[in-house]
Amino acid sequence: MAFRLNGVGLAYANGFDALKGITLQAAQGERIALIGPSGAGKTSLLSVLGTAWAPTVGTAEILDAGDRPRSAAALARLRARIGTIHQSPPIPGRQRAVTAVLAGRLGRWPAWKSLASLIYPLDIPGAGAALDRVDLADKLFARCDQLSGGQLQRVGIARVLYQQPDLILADEPVSALDPALALATIRLLIADAEARGATLVASLHAVDLAIGNFSRIVGVKAGRIAFDLPAGEVGIPLLHELYAGEGGELPVQAHEPHFLSQAAANDAATRAACC
Amino acid sequence: MLLNPSARDPAARSRLIAALTVPVVLWPLFRAAEVEPGALFDPDNLKVIGHFLAAFLPPESGAEFLGYLARATLETLAIATAGMVLAFLLAVPLAYLATGAGREQPTLNPLTRSLLTVLRGIPELVWALLFVRVFGLGPAAGVLALGLTYGGMLAKVYAEILESVDAAPARVLRHNGAGRPLAMLYGLLPLASKELASYTVYRWECAIRASVVMGFVGAGGLGQLMDQAMKMLNGGEAATILLTFMLLVFSADGLSGWLRRSLDRPPANRPSPFGGRSAFFGLALLAGAVASFKYRDIDLASLWRLEAVNSIGTFVADFFPPDLSADWLDKVARGVWETLAISVVGTLLAAVAGMLLALPRRWMPFTVLLNTLRSVPELVWATMTVLAVGLGPFAGALALALHTAGVLGRLYAEALANAPPAAGCALRLAGAPGSPAFCYGTLPGAAPQLVAYTLYRWEMNIRMAAILGFVGAGGLGQLLYVELSLFHQARASTVIVAMLLLSIAVDQASAWLRRKMH
Ligand SMILES: Nc1ncnc2c1ncn2[C@@H]1O[C@H](COP(=O)(O)OP(=O)(O)OP(=O)(O)O)[C@@H](O)[C@H]1O
Ligand SMILES: [Mg+2]
Repeated sequence: MAFRLNGVGLAYANGFDALKGITLQAAQGERIALIGPSGAGKTSLLSVLGTAWAPTVGTAEILDAGDRPRSAAALARLRARIGTIHQSPPIPGRQRAVTAVLAGRLGRWPAWKSLASLIYPLDIPGAGAALDRVDLADKLFARCDQLSGGQLQRVGIARVLYQQPDLILADEPVSALDPALALATIRLLIADAEARGATLVASLHAVDLAIGNFSRIVGVKAGRIAFDLPAGEVGIPLLHELYAGEGGELPVQAHEPHFLSQAAANDAATRAACC
Repeated sequence: MLLNPSARDPAARSRLIAALTVPVVLWPLFRAAEVEPGALFDPDNLKVIGHFLAAFLPPESGAEFLGYLARATLETLAIATAGMVLAFLLAVPLAYLATGAGREQPTLNPLTRSLLTVLRGIPELVWALLFVRVFGLGPAAGVLALGLTYGGMLAKVYAEILESVDAAPARVLRHNGAGRPLAMLYGLLPLASKELASYTVYRWECAIRASVVMGFVGAGGLGQLMDQAMKMLNGGEAATILLTFMLLVFSADGLSGWLRRSLDRPPANRPSPFGGRSAFFGLALLAGAVASFKYRDIDLASLWRLEAVNSIGTFVADFFPPDLSADWLDKVARGVWETLAISVVGTLLAAVAGMLLALPRRWMPFTVLLNTLRSVPELVWATMTVLAVGLGPFAGALALALHTAGVLGRLYAEALANAPPAAGCALRLAGAPGSPAFCYGTLPGAAPQLVAYTLYRWEMNIRMAAILGFVGAGGLGQLLYVELSLFHQARASTVIVAMLLLSIAVDQASAWLRRKMH
């Protein structure tokens, strides 16, 4: 089991109920896409999975740590096994890409290694390989404030690839990338999760990306789960209902006609766009 | 692109060079400052400082002494307020002349700018020491000294603030035919007023600390009492005076915080932006200023009588030409080097201590410690460090470090609290323990600010280091104090010029380092 949420509710400090009665579980190695309109609660749900917020109602069992780890050390050990790709990459502008990527292993490295690595990066090949996978090997020693928005987002992804977590949480990991690169990157994440048997939960704005690449789709609306279905069973009416109130158009990545039928047919067009 | 497996960090070379040069540069400076931690534990020194500190309890509370103390406190407040008023009156026209804001053609204003540099570059205590020679002992010398130095500082910062706000509104007004003063009033002041007011209030707070030490050169106020208490090694009196310092500085701190917060409130919805509170505040300010000038003998008008002007003339004439004989220059050069060493060592020690104190600042005892360190002026610390480690530059460096650690600790804590939290949070969520998460996430965001604060503080400390010698803590101050007591004006004049050049050089070096950091 990768996680089990049971009747989870989350109220923020201002009293706003961002999540209500969420019950959701996933087996290890599953790949799930979260979709839903802006403000639906996707980031909030991922924060509960990432132990950033403890649920105010219900229980959240993450990996095999049970509900609420007992000690700070146990929590840190659990967190070292969770990798989060954030909606806006939380990387200090003055840091170099190599350091930003190496920071992915701080949870597993002994303190002396983390500190020494600030003086001379101790795993240049590892960081280089991770950046190479997102096509940024040439930016290994570049400062992050000299990267474009899309490049910075890919550095954030490289950090999680380097971390090699058992549970990958991706919050709109490709929002700053062009369609072709977005698809390639999503595939990269899926391939990485598949190869290591890791679980992947990604929130996505583009429904075609979600349906074309993920086996299981969870729709979130107003803090609740609207549907939880295999990709093949997600139809256009369901999506229109999910995104009702956002102007009648469905958010998609590639503006091709009939994307959904293609998506169901395993997405030949987008694959062509990738290579 | 395939990765070359033997890739090396291209920054390693320059880091190695830096790591090797820093000790090479710092070592002679530490030698010149005669840093000798052992002196702190020397049995003789321990005995002196131990006796002195033991006498702190109980603090002196005799009625007669408290009467003196109350009078000295009032005098200190009066010096600070009158000095600030003078500084403000000086700064407004100078800033108007010096600033490039509101001008259609960029100008250099070399005359005003060099006047500002001279005013700022000579520490207020040196001005005070000179004025005491001309006008005699008493608060008038302190007021004039504060007025000149702070006038120079205020003018420079006012000019910079006016240049830093958006120039377009004023430019448009000028194109529409408004003169420069009106264009600045309507186009620049609305944008800059908050920062100008905030800086003025902050400076007033500093003026209180500065006027506390004026007494060390005989210019009145609490410093005079402290000087006497230290010379008699009277711990009880020293303790009471120190407590009074802290009380003064804390209240000034609180008042200035309150004033700056009230600048943030949006104006009320009525034709005049000034309401009852502003009117009350304005009246209080006016009353305070008038009372300060009336207080005792701060009678600046009498300074302009004929015989006073004459005696100023002869006194000033004695300073020229400066003594440029080789052996005197050699002595001054050694003083310059020692002063530089004191400022660098003091600032570095303070940066380390400040960082250590800033990290756990949320805990109550650390806040109190930071504020205590900060509220005692450098020169007062120096009177105590010379007891602890003996006369000489090490005492000066320690005194600088103690006060500056309080200042920097507070600034560092603020900078760390204001650094973007997302990066550090994300690392903790990925299981990173506290200190690596701090070093990889929080520190890079706050580092430019931390470095800038430290360098600004160094610019202040070079001016301080130049006067710590007044109480025997090494550097150029010692030379100046001795030569002025012996009426060797020409030699003193060389020292003052050296101080001025040194502070200009440090300003340039610090600006260069700040640019390098970006
Ligand atoms: N720290 C917070 N305090 C209070 N309310 C919050 C906080 N964070 C989010 N919210 C609210 O919770 C709701 C869900 O937010 P969440 O960030 O989970 O949405 P989302 O689905 O990720 O949206 P988007 O697609 O725009 O990123 C929103 O209405 C938001 O305003
Ligand atoms: Mg979100």
